[in-house]
Amino acid sequence: MERKQDALMVAIGLMWLAILVMGWNGVWLPAMILSVFLMLAHMALGATHKGKIDKKFFLYPLAAWAALWVASFSLSAYFADVFKGTVPSFTILGFHPSFAWTILTYWIGGILTLSVGLYACRDGWLSEADWEGFKKEIAEIKAQGGKA
Amino acid sequence: MSGGAKVLIIGFSFAMIVVSFLIGIWAKRKADTAQAFFGGTALFGPFVVGLSTMSAVASAFAIVGIPGIIYATGNPMSFWMLSSAAFGMAYIILGKKVRAMAELGPISSLGDISDLRFQKSRYIKAVMSLVLFLGCIAYLAAQIKGVSVMFAHLLGWNFYVTGFLIFGVLIAYMIIGGEAGGIMTQAFQGLVMAVAGIIIIIGFFVVTGGFGNVLDAVAKAGAITGGGVTKKMSADFLNAWGILPGQVSMVYMLIPILGTVGQPQVLTRMYALKNPRDMPKLGLWAALSHAIVGFLAIVMGFGALYLVATGKIAPLAKADTAAAVFADSLGIWGQLLFYATVLAAAMSSASMFLSLSAGIISRDLPAAIGMKAVDGKTQIKRFRITMGVLGVIAVALALTNDSMVAILGTFGWGTLMSATFPVFVVGLLWKRASKEGVAVGISLALVLNVICFILVQNKFKFPGGIPWYFNVIVVSIAATILVSLFTSGASGKNLDRAVEKVLDL
Repeated sequence: MERKQDALMVAIGLMWLAILVMGWNGVWLPAMILSVFLMLAHMALGATHKGKIDKKFFLYPLAAWAALWVASFSLSAYFADVFKGTVPSFTILGFHPSFAWTILTYWIGGILTLSVGLYACRDGWLSEADWEGFKKEIAEIKAQGGKA
Repeated sequence: MSGGAKVLIIGFSFAMIVVSFLIGIWAKRKADTAQAFFGGTALFGPFVVGLSTMSAVASAFAIVGIPGIIYATGNPMSFWMLSSAAFGMAYIILGKKVRAMAELGPISSLGDISDLRFQKSRYIKAVMSLVLFLGCIAYLAAQIKGVSVMFAHLLGWNFYVTGFLIFGVLIAYMIIGGEAGGIMTQAFQGLVMAVAGIIIIIGFFVVTGGFGNVLDAVAKAGAITGGGVTKKMSADFLNAWGILPGQVSMVYMLIPILGTVGQPQVLTRMYALKNPRDMPKLGLWAALSHAIVGFLAIVMGFGALYLVATGKIAPLAKADTAAAVFADSLGIWGQLLFYATVLAAAMSSASMFLSLSAGIISRDLPAAIGMKAVDGKTQIKRFRITMGVLGVIAVALALTNDSMVAILGTFGWGTLMSATFPVFVVGLLWKRASKEGVAVGISLALVLNVICFILVQNKFKFPGGIPWYFNVIVVSIAATILVSLFTSGASGKNLDRAVEKVLDL
């Protein structure tokens, strides 16, 4: 299990480097999409309990959020290209069709997945039993004269 | 601005400063231990911590500077201000681990967490404290300078009197109430920002008729000249990327979203929460209040564009007046709420960074250089003296030394991120993060922050127009991971048993 975590952390380092190099070279849209996976890797490591991640929690909010943001950046880029140098022929809720996805999927979608999702699926992130179990383990280590 | 408006603004601002002071005094009774005084550790519920976190994150620059950037370059900066999901992300990544560290021993500062994780490595604590201090003092000076200039100009008061009056009261209540008082006053200031933000956002729809009208006006405006200034506008201004290269949007998206977990004002609030199971609620409060303030910055930038595009005002000679100009268009209540929001944003960020800086100077750095530990009461006494002296020096320097404020302005969000990512993000997510790896990563962060500062002063351009701090952050993280793969201090089998339980949580 710890090897998987080692691999994920190495992947995080490599993704940071790749995003930087892509940014230097102006390959920014793939870099933005790669950064979604960078953030997902951080969250997966953070949500892990004793080396395992709750599958439901991974699907929602984490994977749902990642899909939403990849779609967000792709749609923003698509409509920015379609209407480059022209007045857009339609708007979405009054927004430029490219910027609308920043509002709908990046901003509101981000809150609905990560913030609301964390609240709705809080037991998949930290259950009462896990927290109480942790406190018990720490109390035992302290009682044994551990360094805690 | 009318005399009536000035009187209202003075009255409201004065009331807010007085209420903040009273909250700071009231909070004194909560700050009865060193942990409570320095860190507000495990004292507060999700509503208070959520508002406090948001208000400390959203500085006066968010209210004044960001609308100006949106006015000048379009939407890239919108990614930064609409990063409300960052709080949920931060708590998913580190929330339970940082809060769990507070169960292992007395936690009053980020330095204490570093001590527990890296077995009291004085080097890591010292270098991290130095980089954090650099970032904190930069933020503090910017808040003091910005608000003093704005209010002195607005009210026609002496610049120095204005600065010392506002921040003198702030220093006083922080000395009395410590970080516990700081968190409570920041929560109050956050509430002011959110309520004022909602009203100004409604005002935006009343004045402009909505985003469709703004897009229509900006798309058709072309080049507008007035008052000797020409402003070119097009529909591209309001697409997702604005008129800047796409990699700017990439940086303005990734750095605030992932960087929020590395901001001290977010990390320290994780252990201020009484019950860690309330962290998801904290994430909701922080995200919702940030959503209001973030959207406020967007509508003020869009509002200024609309006013210029429709010929209601001449193009702005200085983009950073966009927010104030738009507030003027809302009438007396818009002006009142705008200045209240700026003041609340500046005071909340300043109090947080003052407290953090004082903690570094009075506690963390002395411990890191091997000075003898003292009891809680002595620590609190030293902290109060340091806070007073540091606060007065910071106000005096910020008000009298323009070049120093400009120089410090180089450091900020990215500097803080470069200090905290190796220690906390890599350190608490990965058992194999070693003392040596983190020491190398954070040393590089310190050195490269200074080198890049010199390069920026000499107009050096980084490849692809990527901001310097992005380069520093990547190098420090990559070095931490690489060196950790080949070293083993305070990692793997050498981890403290209790710390291992935290990393497993």
